[in-house]
Amino acid sequence: MSDLDPTDQLAIRIEHVTQRFRVIHERPDTLRELFAKFFRHEAKFHDFDAVKDVSLDVPHRQTLGLIGANGSGKSTLLKIIAGVYKPTAGRVQVTGSLAPLIELGAGFHPELTGRENILINGLLMGYSKNQMLEREDRIIAFAEIGDFIDSPVKQYSSGMHTRLAFAVATEVDPDILIVDEILAVGDAAFQEKCFDRIRRFRESGKTILMVSHSIQQIVTHCDRAILLDHGSLIADGDPDTVAEQYHSIWAAHAAPAL
Amino acid sequence: MRELVVDTYRYRQLIWALALKELKVRYKRSVLGFLWALLNPALMMLVMTLVFSTILQFGIKHYAIFLLSVLLPWTFFAQSMSYAVEAIVGNGDLIKKVKVPKLVFPIAAVLSNIINLLLSLIPLAILVPAMRHPFYWTWLYLPVPMLALIIFTLGMTFFFATANVYYRDFAHIVQVVLSAWFYVTPIIYSLDFLPENRRWLFKFNPLLYVINGFRLAVYYGQLPKWQSIVASFVCAFAALLIGFAVFRKYQDDFVFYV
Repeated sequence: MSDLDPTDQLAIRIEHVTQRFRVIHERPDTLRELFAKFFRHEAKFHDFDAVKDVSLDVPHRQTLGLIGANGSGKSTLLKIIAGVYKPTAGRVQVTGSLAPLIELGAGFHPELTGRENILINGLLMGYSKNQMLEREDRIIAFAEIGDFIDSPVKQYSSGMHTRLAFAVATEVDPDILIVDEILAVGDAAFQEKCFDRIRRFRESGKTILMVSHSIQQIVTHCDRAILLDHGSLIADGDPDTVAEQYHSIWAAHAAPAL
Repeated sequence: MRELVVDTYRYRQLIWALALKELKVRYKRSVLGFLWALLNPALMMLVMTLVFSTILQFGIKHYAIFLLSVLLPWTFFAQSMSYAVEAIVGNGDLIKKVKVPKLVFPIAAVLSNIINLLLSLIPLAILVPAMRHPFYWTWLYLPVPMLALIIFTLGMTFFFATANVYYRDFAHIVQVVLSAWFYVTPIIYSLDFLPENRRWLFKFNPLLYVINGFRLAVYYGQLPKWQSIVASFVCAFAALLIGFAVFRKYQDDFVFYV
């Protein structure tokens, strides 16, 4: 084992990643506005770092929880890992296939049927047509969609929509699963089913990244947690300790207001 | 350029699925469905034939065929441009949430129009014998101008897809440019109609050569001069090189502007 490069053991390696957003107070959406701004010599924008110089190594088989207040950069960090954003600075290395459950059903087209959407969604995640056809029956069964599978997705209830999306994302058998706040939806029975599946993912040695506002969920399901505050990583360790730290920061923020 | 070919091949299933989705959505919920792809050009031909054989008589034999031989490829080009401006902007939701190679969207937009172009040739092939116009063997040459036209259109699509991300004015500009372009291109007329000392001006039109190939093959039963064929491919590849270079340069930033 010693002759192996230690980075081979890592599912995700993040080195000094910064994500800068240019917040334009009123972006010139048309040429007319552009000219107007140009002649008035206005440059109304400011830069802001949603993620600041974050470094993080996630070994294979780990379930990592991300904690932080709204706007602390959790979702941005997940999107960087998922490859949606190309970071302004730093490097990201992901080993293995990745299924982002960031916004479930993002690729669903309302006019297409559930079956058609399963295929397109799978192709978008980088799987082949055959791989998706093989899994189609299992996806439909898990999602409990029944005969609705051949109806346009726009006729689905929001619960059906979410169930189908969750089923597609998890049935494709990724090495790394990214779960962003999605388990807040669906009824209790389906949530239990989702957690059950996530538990099985853990047991089969997958890497999971999880964002939840429910600290309890993080403490129950994760091996490790990190705490983000205004884009910086300020704590890293076992979920109980990090959760406590989060609570104390939260208390400190809240105190002056009392 | 290599990247364009390699990625197109790698994501061929996704591109195909997206193009089919485009067509399905376009014809969904209409009683005749996919049949419209054939009916639309057929009915247009009927109108043209009636108008030009009874009301406006230009003294060109079988004017409908003279016109349609180039109007169909033009429609493909114009339609693709309307799709182009929406190719990235219209898929913004997807691009913001899923890691997906951006080039699949412009390519799928062009592909769905290629399918329409091929379908629209069927009614033309019926019209030719119906009007007792000779069915020339030069129809076999059509894949050549079609290839040049597709390459040219793809380049323009990449360019306008990118431009419209930054300035939504392009969606409108394209429409104006297209209507002017329609009249400076010999579609409803032929270059011979123009005074000889003005003709050189029209030869700057990059679409002239490829359009000419269609009309020669279908209406006159001739092949273009080799200079004209070379010119059509030079224009096509120039458009593709420029269009794709622009697209490639900005594609990682699209996510921040859609």
